[in-house]
Amino acid sequence: MKILIDRFNGVDKFVQAYDLSIDEVKGKTLLALLQHIKRTQDISLNFTSACRMAICGACGVRVNGHSYLACDTKMDDLLKEYDNPESLKISPLANFKVLSDLVVDWEPSIENLRKIKPTITPKEAFSDKKGCVQTQAEVDAIKKQWDCILCGCCASECNKLEADSSDYMEPFVFTHAFRAAYDSRSKDALKHLKPSIANGLWMCVHCQECADRCPKGISAADDIAMLRVMAMKKGLKDGTGPAHAEAFLKDLEDTGRLNEIYLALRSEGVLANTTKIDIAYNLMKAGKMNPLHIFGDEEIEGHEDLVKMIEAARAANKE
Amino acid sequence: MQQKDFAFFPGCVLSQAAKESKMSLEAIAPILGITLHEIKGWSCCGASQAQDVDPIAALVANARNIALAENMNMPMLTTCSTCMLTLTRAKAALDKGAKDRINEYLAKGNMKYQGNNEITSLLWILYENLDTLKSKVVKPLSNLKVALFYGCHSIRPEKSYNAKESSTNPKSFEAVVSALGATIVPFEKRLDCCGFHASYPAVKSVQKMSSQIVGNADKNGADCVVTPCPLCQMQLDIYQERYQDAMGSEIRKPIIHLSQLVGLALGLSNEQLGLDLNIIDATKLA
Repeated sequence: MKILIDRFNGVDKFVQAYDLSIDEVKGKTLLALLQHIKRTQDISLNFTSACRMAICGACGVRVNGHSYLACDTKMDDLLKEYDNPESLKISPLANFKVLSDLVVDWEPSIENLRKIKPTITPKEAFSDKKGCVQTQAEVDAIKKQWDCILCGCCASECNKLEADSSDYMEPFVFTHAFRAAYDSRSKDALKHLKPSIANGLWMCVHCQECADRCPKGISAADDIAMLRVMAMKKGLKDGTGPAHAEAFLKDLEDTGRLNEIYLALRSEGVLANTTKIDIAYNLMKAGKMNPLHIFGDEEIEGHEDLVKMIEAARAANKE
Repeated sequence: MQQKDFAFFPGCVLSQAAKESKMSLEAIAPILGITLHEIKGWSCCGASQAQDVDPIAALVANARNIALAENMNMPMLTTCSTCMLTLTRAKAALDKGAKDRINEYLAKGNMKYQGNNEITSLLWILYENLDTLKSKVVKPLSNLKVALFYGCHSIRPEKSYNAKESSTNPKSFEAVVSALGATIVPFEKRLDCCGFHASYPAVKSVQKMSSQIVGNADKNGADCVVTPCPLCQMQLDIYQERYQDAMGSEIRKPIIHLSQLVGLALGLSNEQLGLDLNIIDATKLA
């Protein structure tokens, strides 16, 4: 079969094909395959790797456009996943600057990691004598996020990052912000939360690629959601993102269902919506937006009970 | 397919901005042997947004939605991918330990979540009944070139759907549309995100994402884009002219619901399928 690899020599980008027998492919990890190609066919092929046991995160690459940790990925599984193809395409991680072949530049991502201050400052209650004791539940709340090995697989597939990285950080950066902000030993969650908000917390498009591609099973999308929950609890509600999210909850509480007119007005305000009159007109013309909904909707059947249920849950879960 | 009854969860979008999705679903269902019983008193699922403000409220609302379907003794069916994901995740949370706690709150309305019900989507039902679907086709769509756009929440996160289908190499949509006889064009953007859920806070990114999808479908010669997700359809259809203009593109492409495409193959009219309600003219596809 053919293994096609995206190459970059610092000047030119090109695709290089390597012919391998199926026996040379089967039974290997993706990393072992790259090492085999380098050893037997092309010593000039560049890629990064270190631990070979899914701990260091150095060997993230893409196969057929999807990111994988090379040392943790079996070629047999890839062949099965892609229906025993005649060729597979290996590329460097997307959304990173390529330095050489499959080697990418991590420095901008590390700069983003620095922004959210990923170390914690312990609360005053702790001391050298007392230490920083946590309950098991407090450890459990953040232990998954400690598994992040900075492989970049989530960032590679992030649809928002692909569209525009100027106002948005890599998903794993939000995971580390979550881990620090929700650490019960942390003196100041805002130190991690505020830079997260300032760097795109509300711009996640919910594509769930990060959750799917993480070799450690971490969902940065869920971590982003939890940071948003913290932001709302702490009253950091400026912007259309928080207003949009709140609009859904308000409709759930008011009638039980979404009112599209209210959603637009609550998300952006009246003034901003005047620029969308053409959209509203098209919808009304097609009978897909009822202007009378400006006066509100009827409550759903059983709405009173729904509100009681929500209030009971809130009362029981009040901090 | 045997006559099959479902507790139907339309989701908010099907009652307004994507009402043609509901119309077309209700038009194809009886032909395919599906009987839809709309769940009385269903509420908004939170659309992955309310969860960011008050996760416990959203979980309670969805536990109630599932419990309503359970009381009907029918599997729960939705055509909205975000509703599907939200309900599925709520069910997983309940089944993995939240059930007893949430049931204490549901008891305020004399309701109880049991955990004995299936949640499924139109795409999955069609995929599981390909022979029935093929047997009902009266107008094979061989002259129609379609780009298939899954929509994120139809396939991701894979683990939330218990790996029912690969999210890197899914096949259900292709199998269903092949059964209708349509010509599926290559479409590199088929697994991408349209950006719907950030269309307010990240509008510039979202218009680029949506525009690239339309542009890629056009580049590959598609007559239209088809999607099983009404939110993706809404995003790509309603905002298309605005976004294409903003990106300096003159390409315009009909975006149709899976249920509309099925309806075309079943020989239904534009009016029955609500194709005349799509913002980008889709009536010429018939």
